[in-house]
Amino acid sequence: MSSPQQRLNSVANQLAPGSARQKILAKNPDDVVITYLARTPLTKARKGGLKDTTVDDLLISLLTTVREKSNLDPNLVEDVCVGNVLCPGSAYVARSAVLAAGYPVTAAASIANRFCSSGLLAVQNIANQIIAGSIDVGVAVGAESMSKNADGGAPEMSERITKHPIASQNSQPMGQTSENVANQFNISREQHDRFAANSFQKAERAQKAGWLEDEIVPVRTQIKDPKTGEVKDIVVVRDDGIRYGTTPESLGKVRAAFPQWAPSATTGGNASQITDGAAALVLMKRSRAQQLGQPIVAKFCGATVSGLEPRIMGIGPSLAIPKILSKFNLSKDDIDIFEINEAFSSMGVYCVNKLGLDESKVNPRGGAIAFGHPLGATGARQVVTALSELRRQDKRVAVTSMCVGTGMGMAGIFVSEH
Amino acid sequence: MLHYRTQGYNGCAVKYSPFFDNRLAVASSSNFGLVGNGRLHILELTANGIQPLKWFTTQDSLYDLAWSEIHENQVLAASGDGSIKLFDCTANDFPISNWKEHAREVFSVSWNPVAKDRFCSSSWDGTVRIWSPHRPQSLLTLPTHSCTYSASFCPHSPDIISCVTSDSYVRVFDLRTPASASNHLVTQIPIHAGPPAPAIPGQPGGPAPPAEALTHDWNKYRPTVLATAGVDRAIRTFDIRAPQQGPLSTMLGHEYAVRKLAWSPHLSNVLLSASYDMTCRVWSDRSDVAGGDMDMMRAGPVVGAELGRMGRHTEFVTGVDWCLFGSEGWCASVGWDENLYVWDVRATMS
Repeated sequence: MSSPQQRLNSVANQLAPGSARQKILAKNPDDVVITYLARTPLTKARKGGLKDTTVDDLLISLLTTVREKSNLDPNLVEDVCVGNVLCPGSAYVARSAVLAAGYPVTAAASIANRFCSSGLLAVQNIANQIIAGSIDVGVAVGAESMSKNADGGAPEMSERITKHPIASQNSQPMGQTSENVANQFNISREQHDRFAANSFQKAERAQKAGWLEDEIVPVRTQIKDPKTGEVKDIVVVRDDGIRYGTTPESLGKVRAAFPQWAPSATTGGNASQITDGAAALVLMKRSRAQQLGQPIVAKFCGATVSGLEPRIMGIGPSLAIPKILSKFNLSKDDIDIFEINEAFSSMGVYCVNKLGLDESKVNPRGGAIAFGHPLGATGARQVVTALSELRRQDKRVAVTSMCVGTGMGMAGIFVSEH
Repeated sequence: MLHYRTQGYNGCAVKYSPFFDNRLAVASSSNFGLVGNGRLHILELTANGIQPLKWFTTQDSLYDLAWSEIHENQVLAASGDGSIKLFDCTANDFPISNWKEHAREVFSVSWNPVAKDRFCSSSWDGTVRIWSPHRPQSLLTLPTHSCTYSASFCPHSPDIISCVTSDSYVRVFDLRTPASASNHLVTQIPIHAGPPAPAIPGQPGGPAPPAEALTHDWNKYRPTVLATAGVDRAIRTFDIRAPQQGPLSTMLGHEYAVRKLAWSPHLSNVLLSASYDMTCRVWSDRSDVAGGDMDMMRAGPVVGAELGRMGRHTEFVTGVDWCLFGSEGWCASVGWDENLYVWDVRATMS
């Protein structure tokens, strides 16, 4: 039966029904909560500190840190879902890395892949298993080594796809979809560069102020000197993609990355960087966390996905964000931080304008243009960043969202309980 | 106006006996139903005012009651411990039957007025259950997946059952439909949704945010009409033949959640409500002047009229019921102020 407190709450809610925001801030025993979360540094693919680290080793390093730092008995972890896009045989890698990171044989593993939303999909998968009662405790991870597993784009597909008016759009490279967005919605090169410079400047401020240290756990790995071939042990501790002093003018000098597609406004400077990295979250019900004495960092409220034409896949967040807000009866003013993946400046500019977002609430620490977009990791990385920033600002509610290749958008809502 | 004090127990529901014109029962709970005992009072209206005939004390709070339609001395009570108890006024102390299947608080019980060997219950556990007084287990479980504050058999058909839930829906089940994935669910009406046509400016009835529905009742004369109310303070009537049409009528005026609704057993357009704003109000849905339900639907929701108001309670009013006998207009109300009043609604009307 219900406790007197639950009965009182139910009457209190009948008397003064809380706003939608109050409802998601409420703490109920069956909430899915995050008890520990962290990310690795994000480093440039083929150049940065993680360039010689495979996804296997990246996962082992991060999962070992989770095991050691979370103060959670590893025997309680029932499933680990790894968001990953590019690694071949990723299901082998995921389960093997879980075991090599010191988890017992009873800890299962699986892979989630919905391109750039894989990390958030992994969170949703673990949360859904907890809600359904399939498991009590799980870990959601996003991990990608773009150094070791290059993005080869779409495979050869059947004629019925390549001749289909919409399905055939999935063979377009992501760069082309960015130019499509810029073309269709008249987003100028200047808007692109201003958006990108803003991201760099916010990230520079965050890094110099040490805010990112709250998100990052170090990775102990090896690196090979490209000239001498010498292999040495290093500890990677910081993001290396943030170019200090970036301005719209300096980005204006970068030449177009895709001269073959009009309006050719996307450049290496105003698109997301190719990067290695990973992030992880430990999830369980609030009642379980309280039973185990685990600290409750945040609450996962829910996530959703929506589809659109693949040729303008970048604007996915402009559909997914209203969808998730409407599911919780929230308005954009109820949200303290929007963490929107900056795959390209074109989609970033469009989504912020289309949704009419307050720019100071969007990616306050910068985004993928400044520190990179390791495809499978981003969805989980954004949660780590958003929750760390909510703690710093002493705010509560974050929406994370990203566009997804092949024409989708995903969005999720998280509440910080710092 | 007659008065009785349910000393130490806060009233949660009141019902007149369908057999005796002078008998009524009150379900009540100590500490406002939050923690502690419950008590079922059987009371009689006498020349010397309201006199207790008997009471039964229970371990947990009692939230609702229903008189048996086949046995004049038997009453069902809905308990906070998830059980449903059948008491007999001629027996002492203990229930003569006890059904325990609901996993959380039972918030309503309703006896089938047509097929009188059945009753139903609804619970915080997100189910409505159908029972026979002769069977130890429930006959059927209808899932709602949402805290279900009120369930009721249709007084015009033995097989139609309705409920309202905290997710702001009215659900209608028809037990004659084959058991299938839909679990006999035939109609689901979003209470908060407005009419499909653009709302006329200044007229209520447009879409509103969903709000917990706490109570509903079937009209006694119009077989397809029911009224709902709840946390959003609005009373709405719906025709289950046209679930997409939005409300037939809306009645606005209560200042806090509406806890209980009862259609008049005498007049097809009159409705009584009890609210957390400490008042009972009498309403007309104006179906008597609008020219029938079909006309009301075409014109969009009609704004009902408040006919009278009773303000004697000094705490939340949680239960009202009409007397079936004698001259039309007598009713009873109970509330958290431990007071039962028996009064004539005509005295509140100007």
